[in-house]
Amino acid sequence: MSLDPARRYFSPEIEQMSRADIDSQRDEKLLGDLIPWAYKRSGLIRETWDAAGVSPADVTSMNDFHEKVPFIDKDAIRSYRDRHDDPYGGLLCLDPADPTMKGIFSAIFSTSGTTGDPTPAPFAGRGPSMLVREFWELGARPGDHFLHCLFTFRGPSIHDTIRGIGATPVFVDHQPSDIEQLLRFSRDFRPTGWYTLSGPLIMMIEETATRLGIDLQDAFSSYRGVVFAGEPIGPRARARVEGWGLELFIQTSLGDVGAATECREHDGCHMWEDTAYIESLDPEGTTPVGDGIRGELVSTTLIDKVAPLLRYRSDDLVRVTREVCACGRTHGRVHTLGRKGDEIIVVGVSVLPGDVWGAVESIDETNGLFQMIRPSREVDTLRLRVGYATEGPGGLPALRVRIEDAVEESVGIRPEIDLVEREVLLRQGPPHKIPRVTRA
Amino acid sequence: MTFAAAYEDPPRVWGVGRVVVGDEIVPWPVSKADIDDETEVAATFLRELGLGADELVLIVSYLSQAIHVAPLERAAGVVGALYSSADASRFDAFRTASLVRQLKPTVVIGIDDAVLAGFDDLDRDPAEVFAPVRAVVASGAGAQARLAAAGVVAGTWIRLGALNAVAYPGEDQLRYDATRWQVDEADGELLVTNLADRLTPSDRFRTGVQGRVPTPGRIAL
Repeated sequence: MSLDPARRYFSPEIEQMSRADIDSQRDEKLLGDLIPWAYKRSGLIRETWDAAGVSPADVTSMNDFHEKVPFIDKDAIRSYRDRHDDPYGGLLCLDPADPTMKGIFSAIFSTSGTTGDPTPAPFAGRGPSMLVREFWELGARPGDHFLHCLFTFRGPSIHDTIRGIGATPVFVDHQPSDIEQLLRFSRDFRPTGWYTLSGPLIMMIEETATRLGIDLQDAFSSYRGVVFAGEPIGPRARARVEGWGLELFIQTSLGDVGAATECREHDGCHMWEDTAYIESLDPEGTTPVGDGIRGELVSTTLIDKVAPLLRYRSDDLVRVTREVCACGRTHGRVHTLGRKGDEIIVVGVSVLPGDVWGAVESIDETNGLFQMIRPSREVDTLRLRVGYATEGPGGLPALRVRIEDAVEESVGIRPEIDLVEREVLLRQGPPHKIPRVTRA
Repeated sequence: MTFAAAYEDPPRVWGVGRVVVGDEIVPWPVSKADIDDETEVAATFLRELGLGADELVLIVSYLSQAIHVAPLERAAGVVGALYSSADASRFDAFRTASLVRQLKPTVVIGIDDAVLAGFDDLDRDPAEVFAPVRAVVASGAGAQARLAAAGVVAGTWIRLGALNAVAYPGEDQLRYDATRWQVDEADGELLVTNLADRLTPSDRFRTGVQGRVPTPGRIAL
C-alpha cells in the first residue's frame, strides 16, 4: 500500500467503517468462522460448551451468542492446564507438527506474570499487527526512527509493526539499566514514536537526567507521541511527562485478545472492533450494562485462530462507549477503571487502586509506589504499603501522616500506612509495573 | 497470518541495535539482508546444539540484543522448531524457570550472570531447573563457569562485534562462520571484519574481547 504521510488514518476504510459494517463483519467472522473453528479444535472451548449443553449449531445469531455461549476465565484456563498438563490451557487450535503451519506458528510468548506464573501465549503472527493504526496516530511516518523500548517476551510483532508503517525501530531495553542509552538514542536518532513508557521508567528517567544534567525537553523534542502502558498513570506522573514535552497515548489490555490505545482526542482507548468483539457486562452477573456504564469487560477474538478466546471474562472493570469519537473513528472506546479482583470494600465503601493513586502520588517522596493490602474483599481497615525514595522533612512519622491525610481527603477513609524503601516494591514487579494489590 | 497491511516500501534499515565494546555501546544499524544471512549461520548453531523439528528453543536475552537475537529466533523456524523468549534480567529469571518447566525446551540459550543471580533469589538450583534441557548455552564465559560450578555443562554464546559466536556444551572453543567473518587478534584482542556484505561494515573492528584464533572458524577465550 502506498501511504501519503499527510493522510489522517493509516487504514481509513477500517477505522471509519460504518457501525452496520462493523457488526456485519463481526457476525460473519464470529458465527461463520471462529466459533466452529474453536469448538472443533480447542479442548477448553469444547469442554466448556459441552458442559453447558451448547454446540456451534445452536449459535446462529448474536442473540444466540449472548444467551447461550458460556464464559471462560483465567481460572478455567489454569484448571484445564493443570488437569491436562497442557501449557496452553486447552486453547491451542494448531498442531505445531502440522507441516502447513511451518513458518506460521513460530513462537510462544508469555504474559507478564505480575500476579503468578506467566501464561504461554502461542504466536502465529507474521508481519505487522493492527498497532500500525496507533503508531500512525502517534505521528510516526515512513522514514522516521521509532524507539522500541520493551521486553523480549512480547515477541517480534512490535518491530514488525514499526517497519509496517515504514519506520525503523531503535531497540532499547525497558530497564533502569538502559536509561542512559534511551536518552542518548533519543538525541542521536531523533525518533518520532516511542513504545512504551511506564511508571517505573518515568521515575528512572527523571533520576538519570538529573544525575547527568540532561535537559529532557531537549532530549525528547523529536517525539510526536509516546505509548504509555503497563498500569494506570497518576496525574502527577502525567504532568511530569507532559512537562518534558511528550504527548502520552494510554494503552490498555483488551481482555487478552489485544490492546486498545488512545487517539489524539484522549477520550478512551480505541478497541478495534474488526479484531475483537467486546461486551461490558454486570460484574456480578451476565446482563449487559449500558453505554458508558461501569461493567466487566468480556472479550471475544475475531482474528486469533491460534488460541482463540470466546467470551473471556477479563476481570477488568471498564466503561465502554460506542459513540463515534471526535477523531472520526467509528470503533468503540474503553476506559479502564481497575480490576474486579482488586476491589476492596472498606466498611461498605469500594476502593480500587486507582482511587488512591493520585493521593499517594501527590506526596513527592513516594513516586506513586504503593500496594493495597487485600487479605479479603471486605475489610475493616484500608491498609497501604507505600514505597519511599527519601524520608522528607520530619522523617518517616511525618511522611506517614502526610500520606494518611492525602488518602483520607481523596477517598474519605483514613488508611493504615506501612512504609518501606521503594526498592522493596520495585523488586516485586517486572520493570514496567508492580502488583498494586497483595494479600499480605 | 498478517494482521495488518504493511507499508509497501520497508525501510532500508531493519533496525538500529548495538554492539558492546567493553563499557562502550556502539549503535549498529542492520539491514534485513544482514538478518537473513545471519539466520543461516544461527540455524547451523541450533541444529548442532541438538534442536530438531517440532522442538523448542528458549532464548534468554534483551531487546537491545535484537540484531544478534533475531537471527536465532528466525533460525528456529528454519529448523522447523518454535522459540520462546525471556529477558536476561535478574527479575525475569522466574520466567526462564517457569517456561522451562511449562514448555520443556530442548535448547536454552543466553543464561547470564543476572539470570543466575535471579535463580539465587528464587532459591532455585540451576541443575534442577535445567535438568530436562538437552543443551544449555550461557551468555558469556562467567555465566558458563557458574553453571559448571552448579553441575550444568553449558556452552557459551558471545556477541563479538556484530557476529554471534557459540561454543557447544563440553567444548572449549567458540565457533563462528569463517565464510562470512574474519576474526583476527591484535595484542590479544579479537578484531572482526565482515567478508559478506553488511549494512554497517566491520573493518578489523575492535571487540574489546581478549582471545585468540587457533584456526579460522574457531576462537579460544
